[in-house]
Amino acid sequence: MKTLIVIPAFNEQESITNLTKEITSYGYDYLIINDCSTDDTPKILDENGFNHLDLPVNLGLAGVTRAGFMYAHDHNYDCVLCIDGDGQHPPVFMSSLIKEIENGYDYVVGSRFVEKKKPWSMRMLGSRLLCFLIKVKTGRTVSDPTSGMRALGKKVIARFDESMNFYAEPDAMCYLIHHGYDVKEIQVDMKERETGVSYFANPFKSIYFMLCEILSIIFIQ
Amino acid sequence: MSGSLRLGLLVASLGVFLIIIFSVAKRRLNIRYSIVWLLWALLSLAMSIFPESFYTLSKVLGIQLPVNTVFLIMTALLYALTFYVYIMISKHNEEIIKLTYEVASLKKELDELKKKNEK
Repeated sequence: MKTLIVIPAFNEQESITNLTKEITSYGYDYLIINDCSTDDTPKILDENGFNHLDLPVNLGLAGVTRAGFMYAHDHNYDCVLCIDGDGQHPPVFMSSLIKEIENGYDYVVGSRFVEKKKPWSMRMLGSRLLCFLIKVKTGRTVSDPTSGMRALGKKVIARFDESMNFYAEPDAMCYLIHHGYDVKEIQVDMKERETGVSYFANPFKSIYFMLCEILSIIFIQ
Repeated sequence: MSGSLRLGLLVASLGVFLIIIFSVAKRRLNIRYSIVWLLWALLSLAMSIFPESFYTLSKVLGIQLPVNTVFLIMTALLYALTFYVYIMISKHNEEIIKLTYEVASLKKELDELKKKNEK
């Protein structure tokens, strides 16, 4: 199965080299997408000869993953796996996600809470609300709808490549379950982000994100 | 509608009309997008010249002050126009993502070709 690891990278100069070396050691094709980084990321990518795209304008995470899906579609990949450039997603778990795609699933999400309990933080409160909404909409219980570590089969790549409204992970997951794709969650561990600043450090952005997701899950997907 | 309001509306809509024509002539505004603005300017021009029609309209709608009918129409048109702009933004957003991807992937292929030639 032709598999592509998509790595969105925005200002990840500290983590990107080690991450890429670790990923290549598993022997998969990979594509780093540099979303107009302002630090040394583009230089590092060029000097090491990593396979990468340099986007000429900043698209944000949703646009970057779209570009990754378009690339996979153009180069006829059967499976795409998204891994964050900040090193949150340990590459050890890549093969278990890809294996499930080989087993015939369309969409496999690396979840932190299949076997483990979800803690009670502010962020997980949001996660619980999204789980509840997906449960109401689709009847399916999911454990980690915001996980960015996910593998897509060929059908899903073709679908995501063309549509503007799979903005983030929860609505994409909800859409796929609702429309009868085979979705599976498997247990992975994630690290706390080591470097860089999270998008959700800004409370207004978090609230805006949640509103978009709630509307999207209830009315659109 | 008071006389000064009529006069103000007349001057403003004439001014808007001229600004639009000027912008198109100076190639700052695409003529396709100017039509809706021109129609709007003509409408407010008509409002200031024939306010009687708005008295009738106000009576039909049950609005006591005709000036409120003017505000109502203006607000509704603004909503419609803003919504249209948002639709255009969404469309352009899609186009930008696609173009960005195309440019990036062409650049990648070009770099690879250059490297091959150097060897």
